[in-house]
Amino acid sequence: MNGQLTPGFPNIYEIWVYLSGSPLLALILTLGAYQVGVLVYERASRHPLANPVLIAIVLVAVTITLIGMPYPKYFEGAQFVHFLLGTATVSLAVPIYKGLSAMRGRILPLLAALLAGGLTSIVSAVGLARLLGADSTIVGGFVAKSVTAPIAMGIAERIGVSPTLTAVFAVSTGILGAVLARFVLDAVRSREWWQRGFAIGVAAHGLGTSRAFSVNAEAGAYSSLAMGLHGVLGAVLIPVGARLLGL
Amino acid sequence: MISGLVQILLFQGLGELITHFLLPLIPGPVIGLILLLGFLALRRSVNASLDEVASTFSQHFGLLFVPAAVGVVMFWPQLKAHALAIAAALVVSVVLTIAVTALVLKALSRASRK
Repeated sequence: MNGQLTPGFPNIYEIWVYLSGSPLLALILTLGAYQVGVLVYERASRHPLANPVLIAIVLVAVTITLIGMPYPKYFEGAQFVHFLLGTATVSLAVPIYKGLSAMRGRILPLLAALLAGGLTSIVSAVGLARLLGADSTIVGGFVAKSVTAPIAMGIAERIGVSPTLTAVFAVSTGILGAVLARFVLDAVRSREWWQRGFAIGVAAHGLGTSRAFSVNAEAGAYSSLAMGLHGVLGAVLIPVGARLLGL
Repeated sequence: MISGLVQILLFQGLGELITHFLLPLIPGPVIGLILLLGFLALRRSVNASLDEVASTFSQHFGLLFVPAAVGVVMFWPQLKAHALAIAAALVVSVVLTIAVTALVLKALSRASRK
């Protein structure tokens, strides 16, 4: 049967089948949900609790559950957006480069803060999860969670813990960091944009960086620097550390 | 706009090649970032097209996480048995990490200014 020969307005079901067979539906859903998220974020004067990414994630998750679209099917279409994550990571070189001259005198404090933050992230998450009785598979997933998700998954493979679980915790950490950062930074009286941005980037990688850029360009540049450094150093140091500790 | 995108894609491709053949430890995009940074440092300028693409990406970086993050939401029910321990560890850890990083930066930059 050739659907397009049907006279008059085609059956809605046919449109449905047609759209869901192409990447269009997933793309419209993803971009539309993000657009709604941005509108709400702007309307809420960029309040951290109205995080546009969080809103988009919830909207898409609810919609595909309601229409019974399996996640792999959704991802098949949305992978075009996902692919750009790598491209966008490369493009972070530009804001980092622009902030470079200002960073020169600050390299030592930045590296020290990164090491302190990275260690805190691992020790606190692994320690607390153990204390609360999570099993060792789950505890392993926390080790690389503050590193940006694609790097974190690579580290997880190398140290023999679940990459999926690591990605789940990395993305959850990114969202939590983006939402909570302002409150934490205000509480510890961090006032300089570069310090605030760097702290978000260390703790909450790309999702934190996205939040930082939406608040202040300098914070965004430092956040992307922190995320890049954490990714590179984490990829080298975490596997070495795990071997030394016999994890 | 297009020439900036081409430059970024070329560096991404170069990064992927290096990861594949030389440095499997570090993901391609990170190597691409480092290479592009080196390139910019050598040229000592950012051309307008590259700047335009990069600022568009950094403004909407979060959007690119949505497809993967939806999978994460779908995965969460499987963790129900340990939900409390996991949620507590994630929240406490991210709060401590932000606080410790910010405090170390504040203390060290104050010390170096004296």
